[in-house]
Amino acid sequence: MADNPVPSSLKRERKFYLSNTLILFIVLIVMVLLFSFTSKSFHSVYNLVSMLSNLSFIGIVAAVLTIVMIAGEIDFSIGGNIGLTSCVAAFLLDRGINGWLVILICLIMGLAIGVFNGFLVTNVGVNSIIATIGTMSIWRGLAFTLTDGKSILAINPVIDYLGRGTVFKIPFPVILFAIVFGVCYLVMDHSKWGRKVYATGVNPMAAYLSGINVKKVKFVSFIFCGMAAALGGLILTSLTAVGMPQHGMGLELTIISAIVLGGTALGGGKGKILGTLVGILILSVLYNGLTMLNVYYYYVQIAQGAVLVAVVSTYEIRQKKRY
Amino acid sequence: MTSLNSKSAVRKSWWKKPIRIFTQNKTPTPSLIVIYIIMVGIFSIFSRNYLTLTNYKSIFNNLAVFGILSAGVAIVMVAGGFDLSIGSIAGFVGVVSTMLMMQENPLPTPIIIIIALCIGIAFGLINGLIITKIGINPIITTLGTLAVIRGCCYFWALENLRIYNTFWLKIGRNFIGNFLPYTTIYIIVIYIILTLMLKFTRFGRNLYAVGGNEDLARLAGINVDGIKILSYAISGFFCGLGGIVLSSQLGSGRPEYGTGAELEVLTIVVLGGVAVGGGKGNYLGTFIALVIIGSISNGLVLLNVPIFLRMVVKGALLVLAISIDALRNRKRLKLY
Repeated sequence: MADNPVPSSLKRERKFYLSNTLILFIVLIVMVLLFSFTSKSFHSVYNLVSMLSNLSFIGIVAAVLTIVMIAGEIDFSIGGNIGLTSCVAAFLLDRGINGWLVILICLIMGLAIGVFNGFLVTNVGVNSIIATIGTMSIWRGLAFTLTDGKSILAINPVIDYLGRGTVFKIPFPVILFAIVFGVCYLVMDHSKWGRKVYATGVNPMAAYLSGINVKKVKFVSFIFCGMAAALGGLILTSLTAVGMPQHGMGLELTIISAIVLGGTALGGGKGKILGTLVGILILSVLYNGLTMLNVYYYYVQIAQGAVLVAVVSTYEIRQKKRY
Repeated sequence: MTSLNSKSAVRKSWWKKPIRIFTQNKTPTPSLIVIYIIMVGIFSIFSRNYLTLTNYKSIFNNLAVFGILSAGVAIVMVAGGFDLSIGSIAGFVGVVSTMLMMQENPLPTPIIIIIALCIGIAFGLINGLIITKIGINPIITTLGTLAVIRGCCYFWALENLRIYNTFWLKIGRNFIGNFLPYTTIYIIVIYIILTLMLKFTRFGRNLYAVGGNEDLARLAGINVDGIKILSYAISGFFCGLGGIVLSSQLGSGRPEYGTGAELEVLTIVVLGGVAVGGGKGNYLGTFIALVIIGSISNGLVLLNVPIFLRMVVKGALLVLAISIDALRNRKRLKLY
């Protein structure tokens, strides 16, 4: 425990926070400059649009997952959720069901998945990590079973607009991302419910004793996460125009890396939505830039894993130095 | 909330009694044996080939890799940690040993085995050092290590990775007297040695202590960091061994081997009674859970269940296993 008097430790706390996000921004700018100079196609409009669309669907899921992680839980099943949503959407569109109805059904399914995850974690009391790893393979397996392993074409005017439409030349997913992000930011930083989430993350017992219904807070955050992943799945289906059961495979590592990069502690209680934004930007730029440089895919995977471990070690070492 | 009237208690929470049967005994072993007998009954009704000697040989031979991997993971989880990188380490060991064997003047096979085991221990040590000295959450660390090591597998793998070394192939495929696989002997010997270590050595007691309550263990004078690093090193060793048996059984050392092993091994270890926070668990339960999961995989194939549905069943099994574990181990006053 810190033996210093309160003012100087507070000063150190604020300095610690500012430097973290500042470091991230600097890293981001350096990376963008590096890639712009080394690869001609990096700052072309086409690349920017495609990178932004990809970033948006990842960002929507990541923003809401940040809420879950601040509450102290993790949801690994987002990848399986995205795959199942995309397969169900393509399946229904193939049968000729109206685009709007498909969106509604997929969002309700996302809600149901969130309810199942939340029930397992809050009511049965399972560790959220293992619970969601288990449910992840259930959703993934259901997606494979539904399509028998094949991909289904998903072409529909409404769904297409979701991923590839533009509003004044800005891709529609970016607008959705901005809306979801803005709502998450407002909720977490400026609403009562957001403070409740931070409280349950820091110390669930103390939150419970203060009158916060911890079970309900966690349950609701899982529901939002399920719905956000469903929305992400719809956007991905529209971006790729197919419903594949493999959609979203391996996405968990990227998203959780981005969230942890952004400063959200793994135990919960600490974290900023803006930090997640910077984390998403950094990882997307890294992935996109390395792909533009024709780096072999598995090296990119190594790079992502290494960046995660490196940045989190930096945070932990800086935190330990305070004592 | 619960009424004193016995009739309405039965009506309101009728699901509690069956749950209580599985979660209220001290060790999971009796209920696991019951589950196994029920399961064998169900499978043998639906498939004529289930209760044959050939089928059992096949079940036990296929259990091998998961059994060895879960031996290591059980130790890590008893000490309170997590190791998700087991599949990647096993795959990497397979790739490296295959490449060592494919050279023009290959090293003698025992040396390759020792190198493979040392690689496994090295990765385990890396995991342990990052988790204890830098202090990152074990799940994130092993997720990162999973990605990095899997990437290294693809990085170092060449095109044609077949194994032609007969000694190596015999490791995972031979039988004694045509009915007992070598691999079952490995598993039984490993489990017996590890059980003796857990019960009768100081290191074993320290593992349970660190898993039970880490701060109290540190106050009691146990070198918590050292114990954790050692547990990850042991897990790495068994991943190396599992990688050797895996490449032997499959006859090659392709970089994608071992993907997805974490899920099944986690299911086995948690179903077998090793609590998620650590501090509890023994190898008898793990062994029975291993046989159960192996029999289910085998039974699903015999019943011609489509492959994707099997994935769903495995995920559902994991969820079931951890739910039982949570109901068994959560504190009475779980208010939140």
